[in-house]
Amino acid sequence: MSAARAEIAALQGALAAEDSAVYGYGVAGAHLTGARRAAALRNWVAHENARDALTGMLAARGAQPVAAAAAYQLPFPVHGAGAAVSLATVLEDRLCAAYLGLVGLANPALRAFGARAARTAALRAAAWRGSTLAFPGLNLPAPVRAAAPAAAGSAAR
Amino acid sequence: MARDTTRRRVLAAATAALPLALAGCRGIAALGSPPKPAADVTVASDAIAVERQLIARYGAVLAAVPGLAPTLRPLLAQHHAHLALLRRRLIVPHGGQPLPASRVTAGGRAPAPGTPGAALGYLRDAEDAAAAALLAHLAAAPPSLAQLLASISASEATHALILGTAARQR
Repeated sequence: MSAARAEIAALQGALAAEDSAVYGYGVAGAHLTGARRAAALRNWVAHENARDALTGMLAARGAQPVAAAAAYQLPFPVHGAGAAVSLATVLEDRLCAAYLGLVGLANPALRAFGARAARTAALRAAAWRGSTLAFPGLNLPAPVRAAAPAAAGSAAR
Repeated sequence: MARDTTRRRVLAAATAALPLALAGCRGIAALGSPPKPAADVTVASDAIAVERQLIARYGAVLAAVPGLAPTLRPLLAQHHAHLALLRRRLIVPHGGQPLPASRVTAGGRAPAPGTPGAALGYLRDAEDAAAAALLAHLAAAPPSLAQLLASISASEATHALILGTAARQR
C-alpha cells in the first residue's frame, strides 16, 4: 500500500471510531446523571470535534470521508448507568486502538497526532474504568458488563 | 558488446572484492570499530532504561511508605509488563550486555519522599516525565515499536492520573 493510501486508511479508521463514539455517548449519556452525565456530554462534544477534524484531514488528502451510520450495534445492551459507563469505556478503548493505527504510519506529524489522541482516549477510558491498562489500544480487554446492577440502578435517572 | 559488458562486470566485482580479501589477511582488526546500533535498538534500550528507572522509584517509595502498596502494586505490575515487552524487542547477542549499566542507576540517587501525599506526587511527576521521554523517540522508531511506545506512554499518563487523584484524596 502506498504511503498516501495507508494514511487515508488509518484516518478513515479513526473517523469510524469517532462516529461510533458520538453515537455511543448519546446512548450512554441518556442513562447517566450528575457528574457522569456531564462527563459524557463533554466527551460527546469532544468526539464531534475530533470527527470534524478527521473529516477535514481526509478532505485535504482528496479522500471521501466514510459516512457515519444512522445507528450502531452496541457491544451489549445498555439499560442502566453501570452498562453506560462500560460502554463509554469500550468506546474509548476502541478509539485508542484506532489512533494507534496513525502512530504506525511513516509520517511523523500523523504519528505525533495519533499518539496525542491515543493518550487522550486512554485517559478517558481510565477515568471511566477507575483503573489503568498496561497497553491501552494494543491489548483490548473483552467488553465487561456492569458488575453491580443494584448500584447501577440507583444511579440511573 | 555484450561480452564487453560482462568482462567489465567481472572486473568491477573483482575490484570490489579486493579490500575484503586484504581485510581477511589482517584478521579481526580490519573490521574496525563495531557498527552503530540500529535505531530500533537505541530506542528500545532507552525505553527500557526509562521503565527500569520508574520501577526503581516505585521500589523506593514502597520501602519508604508501605501503606501505599494497594494503590501502587497494580501500577508497578504494569511497568513490569512494559519492561518485559520492551525487552522482547531487543535481540541481544549471545553473552552480550543488554544495556549500558550507567543509564539504569540514575534513578536510585534521589531519596523517595516519606509522606504518602508527597510520595504520590513524586511518582505522578515521574510517570509524566517517563510518558514524555517515550514519545520523544516516536519519530525514530519503526512502526510497530512506535505503536508500543505510544501505548506505554499513554498507560503512564493514566498512571499519573490515578496517582494525582489518590494524592488529592489525602
